[in-house]
Amino acid sequence: MSRPQSIHVQWPDGASTLALRAVHHDGATLADQLAEAGRPLNTRCGRHGRCAGCTVELVAGRFLGRDGTEHAAPAEIKACQGRLAPGADTTIAVPARSLATHRPQVVTTFKVGVPAATEPLVPVVPGESDHGLAIDIGTTTVVVSLVDLRSGNIVREEASFNRQIELGDDVVTRIQLAGVPDKLDVLRDAIVGRTLAPLIAGVCAGAAIAPERLAGATVAGNTTMLHLLTGTDPTPMGVAPFCAAFLEHRQLTAANIGLSTPPPAMPVHLLPGISAYVGADLVAGCVCTGLNHCAEPSLLVDIGTNGEILLMHRGRLLATATAAGPAFEGGRLARGTRAVAGAVAHVRFDGEFPPALDLIPGANGIVGLCGSAYVDFLAQGRRISLLEPTGRISPSAWQTLPAVHRHHRDITRGVRLNAQNDATLVTEADVAHLLQAKAAIAAGIVTLLRRAGLAPADIRTLYLAGGFGLHLDVAHAIESGLLPGFRPEQIDVVGNTALGGAWLALIDRTVLPEMIAASTAAEVVELNLEPGFEDTFIDHLALP
Amino acid sequence: MTTLEQLSQAVAAGKSKDAKALTQRALDEGVKPGRLVDEALVPAMAAVGERFKNNEIFVPEMLVAARAMKEAMNLLEPRLLAAGITPKYTALIGTVQGDLHDIGKNLVAVMWRGANFRVVDLGTNVPPAKFVAAINEHRPQLIGLSALLTTTMPAMVETVRTIRASGCPAVKIMVGGAPISQQFAEEIGADGYASDAGSAVDRARELVGAI
Ligand code: B12
Repeated sequence: MSRPQSIHVQWPDGASTLALRAVHHDGATLADQLAEAGRPLNTRCGRHGRCAGCTVELVAGRFLGRDGTEHAAPAEIKACQGRLAPGADTTIAVPARSLATHRPQVVTTFKVGVPAATEPLVPVVPGESDHGLAIDIGTTTVVVSLVDLRSGNIVREEASFNRQIELGDDVVTRIQLAGVPDKLDVLRDAIVGRTLAPLIAGVCAGAAIAPERLAGATVAGNTTMLHLLTGTDPTPMGVAPFCAAFLEHRQLTAANIGLSTPPPAMPVHLLPGISAYVGADLVAGCVCTGLNHCAEPSLLVDIGTNGEILLMHRGRLLATATAAGPAFEGGRLARGTRAVAGAVAHVRFDGEFPPALDLIPGANGIVGLCGSAYVDFLAQGRRISLLEPTGRISPSAWQTLPAVHRHHRDITRGVRLNAQNDATLVTEADVAHLLQAKAAIAAGIVTLLRRAGLAPADIRTLYLAGGFGLHLDVAHAIESGLLPGFRPEQIDVVGNTALGGAWLALIDRTVLPEMIAASTAAEVVELNLEPGFEDTFIDHLALP
Repeated sequence: MTTLEQLSQAVAAGKSKDAKALTQRALDEGVKPGRLVDEALVPAMAAVGERFKNNEIFVPEMLVAARAMKEAMNLLEPRLLAAGITPKYTALIGTVQGDLHDIGKNLVAVMWRGANFRVVDLGTNVPPAKFVAAINEHRPQLIGLSALLTTTMPAMVETVRTIRASGCPAVKIMVGGAPISQQFAEEIGADGYASDAGSAVDRARELVGAI
């Protein structure tokens, strides 16, 4: 065994010396070494070097890239793309936004649009077996709610990042990884053993309920997450025609899933889904909001890296998935970040520049900008003519800004929203990425409506679900064209309706049959096959 | 300003309606379709590509310009064909099997047309055998493969392998798409890679020996 490599690390909260396992032959990277040392970085693209999530600053020493390149300090390096050269006094600085240890902004709140009875899905024996779990497995965050089945009340909630994130950021990256021998098991263990098990133990301990009293669980999640939960090979969903191995409701047991805290025979119900990219999370939301009963045309929209859209019209349920990419989670943007402590959540231009910034509390200083802040910027930047319809920063408006707010590189411009802080920089390249994400969502909505012969004005309610929706300034989402052509009164922000639906299905046994009916009745619209999609996408690249 | 100059500007600025109207007007004024392509469209797309490379414009503006170019080409193509005008070089392009993304591929196709290539577009979800059949049919100098999903990168590998093993006429293979890199292109034995539609033109011309 070679000697461990000792390096100095400047963390956001202080410096330390770290002993890294020596690596020479097994191809491990600095990101792997830091993870093994208990300080995982944000390797959200799955260590492909495609994102800037694990970027650290090389303060002293040399970095050997996997591609044979060598970098000498000072340099910005992607920790997943190589290792530090041996040598004394090697020092790196890790910015807050590159750490994977941030606590997620958890969405456990949801609005329920339908009445429900307390008549649980699973048998209840008061005092013995009388609690249940409502679970939402998101690609990014996982929430477990402990429900008292006698009252139907949620008594305890815990959430954390889905530990699969360390293996790959988006669903397709994980689908691909699952095709590598043994990795399906690694992914399954990441969700079952390393994410759900501690959360379940946590809610039981927190509420002082013995796990033996768990009587059943319901699980909502996208189709890929439910495949990985059950150890089912998802690889056919990665390529056209995107076939799922199962979509139907399934009743399993805790033992089947591999959960050891609850009683082995505890029933676990996986809620039904519609297609590979419109999953049980949407079906749960559909019933939770009452969309499936809406008499007037209504929409359910969940915006994440993928945008899922359901349209209820004249008793027909149309479903589609559009792909936004990671921009709204801060991916590929110069100062983008997820909604973590220290992120700018909102930007308010009260007439003039510079704008007021609202931070998510819990950190010292600003770590970057999150999706909702960028949407604010698009809407208001356009309103004050700082942005042109093409998304370019107006040269004349830019010239009038105080020099400290101006940024330029070659001939592209940028704007520092806060003069003192470079973590508030928005560049024209960022705007171009955001416009593509915005256009994919907007074109998805408009194309689906067009299929039904409808326009945004015809919609009674657009239920906006999911964590991003909860943080979004709805007026700005409309003004930027993300929710194109709607009026604020039409939008109802409903929160985590996937969790809401799982909870409803657990406490009221008439709900699951409704979900099954909705999932089988839904008609899937493939946007690629819609003739007008490309044109609509290009139209919506512009700012209104 | 002449009609051709106006047309060139309308295309570069992405004004689809104007591009269409001006193309019609130029034709009405008796401008030959071949001259229209050479003196208005080719320079317009060259300018767009150049501005993109210099970071003066980004993908959204380029897509809008490409759409304007397409409007003009729709009017011209039947006339060019009738006049027997075919560009010197032919390129095939398609999205590999398992992938249905085509906006980026379409943009590359338009830019290649704008650089005076005849472009045969095989569409999306194209199996390797269909590429081979099309090579035998159209005898292109260049072939472009697009993949937007990390999960369809293996299909790209397979397509390059099949083309090379097929014994069809020699052809240069270029690959591209968001998850593709220069390194990947080299690993799978492609002849060229471009990260965007602007550099795709330069690389294509290099590969066929046009420059
Ligand atoms: C628009 C879009 C769609 C549209 C596609 C419409 C269409 N007809 O193409 C719709 C909504 C239908 C769609 C669907 C899906 N998508 Co999609 N999509 C996108 C999106 C937002 C933009 C892609 C795009 O067109 N960009 C604009 C063009 C101009 O850029 P480009 O494609 O990169 O092309 C440029 C270069 O790459 C290069 N290039 C491209 N091809 C070639 C070829 C050659 C020869 C050369 C030289 C160069 C070259 O030049 C181009 C011009 O500069 C991206 C995210 C993103 N921001 O990239 C996701 C994205 C590609 N999609 C993704 C996914 C997962 C899907 C789905 C599988 C699931 C879903 N529903 O979300 C489905 C199924 C797709 C299918 N059926 O094949 C993922 C892929 C993730 C991964 N790890 O692989 C992305 C990255 C989003 C994400 N992170 O979730 N998508």
